[in-house]
Amino acid sequence: MNLKISALEFIEEVKTGNISVEDFISATIDQIKNIDEKLHAFLHVNPESVEQAKKIDKKIKLGEKVGSCFGMPISIKDNICIKNSKTTCASKMLENFTAPYDATVISKLKEQDAIFVGKVNLDEFAMGLTTEFSAFGPSRNPWNTDYVPGGSSGGSAVSVSAFECVASLGSDTGGSVRNPASFCSTVGYKPTYGLISRYGLISYANSIEQIGPITRTVKDTAFLLNIISGLDPNDNTTIDSGNADFLTDIDSGIEGKKIGVIQEMIGDGIDPAVLSATNDAVSKLEGLGAICEPVSIDMVKYSVASYYTITATEAGSNLARFDNLRYGYDLPLEGYEFNSYISKARTKFGPEVIRRMILGGFVPSAGHAGKYFLKSLKVKSKLTKEVNDAFTKFDYLVAPTVPVLPFKIGEKIDDPIALFLVDINTVIANLTGIPSISVPFSISNGLPIGIQLLAKQNDDKKLLQAARALETTVQLPEVPI
Amino acid sequence: MNKLVTEEEIELVAKFMKIDVHDHKEYVEKVHSMIDFFNILDSAGVEDEEIIIADLPLSKLREDMHIPYEDNLIEKLKNFKGNYVRAPKMI
Repeated sequence: MNLKISALEFIEEVKTGNISVEDFISATIDQIKNIDEKLHAFLHVNPESVEQAKKIDKKIKLGEKVGSCFGMPISIKDNICIKNSKTTCASKMLENFTAPYDATVISKLKEQDAIFVGKVNLDEFAMGLTTEFSAFGPSRNPWNTDYVPGGSSGGSAVSVSAFECVASLGSDTGGSVRNPASFCSTVGYKPTYGLISRYGLISYANSIEQIGPITRTVKDTAFLLNIISGLDPNDNTTIDSGNADFLTDIDSGIEGKKIGVIQEMIGDGIDPAVLSATNDAVSKLEGLGAICEPVSIDMVKYSVASYYTITATEAGSNLARFDNLRYGYDLPLEGYEFNSYISKARTKFGPEVIRRMILGGFVPSAGHAGKYFLKSLKVKSKLTKEVNDAFTKFDYLVAPTVPVLPFKIGEKIDDPIALFLVDINTVIANLTGIPSISVPFSISNGLPIGIQLLAKQNDDKKLLQAARALETTVQLPEVPI
Repeated sequence: MNKLVTEEEIELVAKFMKIDVHDHKEYVEKVHSMIDFFNILDSAGVEDEEIIIADLPLSKLREDMHIPYEDNLIEKLKNFKGNYVRAPKMI
């Protein structure tokens, strides 16, 4: 069974009767059994997936209506709720939590007969960018298992890259879909804020985070967006996409389009191999008929500090709900006073989560709010103006997704500032609400490099067209697993 | 170097955040370096900038109505008695 196919190819193969869903899902589960001990993408594997596949095969055989996913195997980041399945956020705090409801994205995928093969690893509560902060151990990059796969949706990117599923859903608060997509050579998409419902996504920083697909191709991302986007009464921040079909006209190309190359993202600190790949990408975009010019966005250099101040503040508030009383791990109630019980229970949070909660208590506190939190909101506002200004001159912006190559596991774990700076090219899309995509572009010394394209708010369809155009210029080697 | 955040402040914030942190020293250095990094915001020149907030009118919010849950939800909780969540005593 060839697992090395895209989601759309899988659907075509099933539709034409070349493969059965059962055979493909069985082979996918075997692949997980064979390689995941080494990669650790999965936290839980769905034991019912083969039975679910058989039911879909039966519906196909009987000529009954089948959803547009045709039993496609998808992995789900373990901070997105699937009813009656464990949702741990890679935290000991939620080790025994079983979700009592489906996230909206899950309901939509279920309606279209997707099969969830399992829940995948992340940095605890999505706080991190290497997957090293998972309480259940790090995931490993399939391109070189000594290296981080990126994060926080590291399990999602690894599972797609290593053919343990055909697509995955992650969440992106400051690059958590695009960063691991870049490090593992997959497509990673952060939509316009509000395009996809966050109902059932366990909150980290609500004002900027979005669920996003990780796939093998840009077309697969467009296909998934068609299913999971749209208004949701359970999430008042969702926006009406006007029933946009993201797949139609995806091959429209970018001839005559103007693209701004963000200068602050290719300056100090960039790895020479990443810079070279970016220059190559710009040449290829020009070869496709686009007009590329430099653009400066001054607030980029303040964006990481602003991002971490805002997210820590929201995280401090969001994580206050985890008191271990209604759900959580097994800590007896007896012998504790109410507050001391909660404080004791919350020692199960990992060190990175505790650091961010302490920060989240400090930066908006009386006496410090003006210096940190309010100033960060002002940077966010000015950055939004600068980005909107750029889009009056350009159709798209381009930059490397991450300024450095994947690094070794453990290399930066004790240096929070070095880790912060890895986010510098991705956080602006979250702070401004614009859509952004990482496209696999190059391999340097056996390690992947992704190129990031950005468009103005609600231009998701146009952004996918540009990403598709760039993707057609690239021929990459197979992942060495 | 003048410390932006002291061990006592970490202890106080941790207490407010309801986290039982035994060794505050462990967090001082890293939290300090993070806050030190945030000082770059002082040179952003945004003092006169207005904060843009996307407000959502009440009329756009969904109707506040009870949606029945198909199962007995309380039975899914780990500590309950009858219709109540069990919790430690508040003194």
